[in-house]
Amino acid sequence: MLKVQIKKLHKSFGPDEVLRGMDLDVQEGEVICLIGPSGSGKSTFLRCINSLEQPTSGTVVVDGDTITGKHANLDKIRENIGMVFQQFNLFPHLTVLKNITIAPIQCKKHSKAVAEAKARELLERVGLSQKWNVRPGSLSGGQQQRVAIARALAMDPKLMLFDEPTSALDPEMVGDVLNVMRELAQEGMTMIIVTHEMGFAREVADRVVFIDEGVIVEQGPPSEIFTNPQNRRTIAFLDKVL
Amino acid sequence: MNFFELLQESWPMFLRGLLMTLELAVVSLVIAMFVGLGSCLMNISRFRVLHWISQGYINIFRGTPLLVQAFFFYFGVPKAFGFTLNVFVAGVIALSLNAGAYLSEIFRSGIEAIPHGQMEAARSLGMPRRTAMLKIILPQAIRIVIPSVANQWIISLKDTSIISCIGLAELTMMGSQIVARTYMSFEVWICVGAFYFIIIYALSKLSKFLEKRLSLVKSADKEAS
Ligand SMILES: Nc1ncnc2c1ncn2[C@@H]1O[C@H](COP(=O)(O)OP(=O)(O)OP(=O)(O)O)[C@@H](O)[C@H]1O
Ligand SMILES: [Mg+2]
Repeated sequence: MLKVQIKKLHKSFGPDEVLRGMDLDVQEGEVICLIGPSGSGKSTFLRCINSLEQPTSGTVVVDGDTITGKHANLDKIRENIGMVFQQFNLFPHLTVLKNITIAPIQCKKHSKAVAEAKARELLERVGLSQKWNVRPGSLSGGQQQRVAIARALAMDPKLMLFDEPTSALDPEMVGDVLNVMRELAQEGMTMIIVTHEMGFAREVADRVVFIDEGVIVEQGPPSEIFTNPQNRRTIAFLDKVL
Repeated sequence: MNFFELLQESWPMFLRGLLMTLELAVVSLVIAMFVGLGSCLMNISRFRVLHWISQGYINIFRGTPLLVQAFFFYFGVPKAFGFTLNVFVAGVIALSLNAGAYLSEIFRSGIEAIPHGQMEAARSLGMPRRTAMLKIILPQAIRIVIPSVANQWIISLKDTSIISCIGLAELTMMGSQIVARTYMSFEVWICVGAFYFIIIYALSKLSKFLEKRLSLVKSADKEAS
């Protein structure tokens, strides 16, 4: 089943056209890794999918909802799209538990008890059940990022977006976060991941999409992209990062 | 008459003045907080009209002296529209609108100090803008602005003495009246000054206490240990 359908997506910041017509279809349960040089538009592309950035033109359909539609209920559609940021963006004034329960309570009108039970389950899953009552500020980067993943999962999203989730982490923290993501992928979550972790992409991705200068240059299964890239720009990029 | 006779003889007047000053300050500042928050939310609103209304209000009240504002609301407005205004009410209007303008800018600076990622994270979870503002941004902004808000409270508290000029019998006005009767200018103004000082000292202690209580760093340590 088609989970995400992106057609002719363009995005300009003033005179700069950052996305220059991008098309992408994502099947249910598919894990997509977006790779590409800095400034190529990966983050912008990801942020257009949940409309944190409003596309200049083009359509984005997520789980049947056209988020680019004129009368789209953005808040409702976003409940189905979890997002994990490079800088975690946890809410520093709330405890870990409240970070996870606030959206289900505020947006889905879940009772406190139901939301908390679910939050504890999620914390268990990301290996942080002991930390429910501390503020994010007292956690390590890797722990914060796992809380951020739990926070997004608490809304039962149909799609998860990750924007370089491990780039701000100390190397020894990266593994824990990638493990959580790997498990999520195995459970069948549809995921779009911007990453510089080529090893992870090779192992977990169903499809690797290479973006350069606002267009999708090449895409395919990791075995093909990483071992036998066709496009000159893909080859040059992979030469640098591998 | 010596200093103690002065106190003995005049304490009811001092007390009345003090109470009036406190009443004026508390009522005005409570209103000013709401006015300031409302104006701030209008100021950062996506609706340009609301922004311009708020900006106009801020510019006018920061750009004119409080004394002129007090005269305007006590004499000017009632004259133009043919009614009379209670001097306390006029004082509250002038003081709360004046402080509200400053508080509006203080609140805005607090909101703008919150990293953009906080709003994005909240919105990405499906929170409407209003909920995100109320539950995520404002609680953090309030912690940041406590010292500046307390500072504005102190300024406004001192500014209550300006309201004596339209004839409100607050502490400064009472001081003048006691001086007129006793000619003990030196002692009376020391007393009046001491009263202001005590209130303001208490206020700054309260602000320090709140700042500590609500500090994110401190409470994180407390809960972690
Ligand atoms: N809000 C914005 N306003 C103006 N220009 C922007 C904005 N956001 C991004 N850009 C520009 O768009 C281009 C693409 O940025 P984007 O962040 O999407 O790249 P990226 O592929 O994610 O890069 P990186 O790997 O460094 O994160 C860059 O040239 C950037 O300067
Ligand atoms: Mg990026």
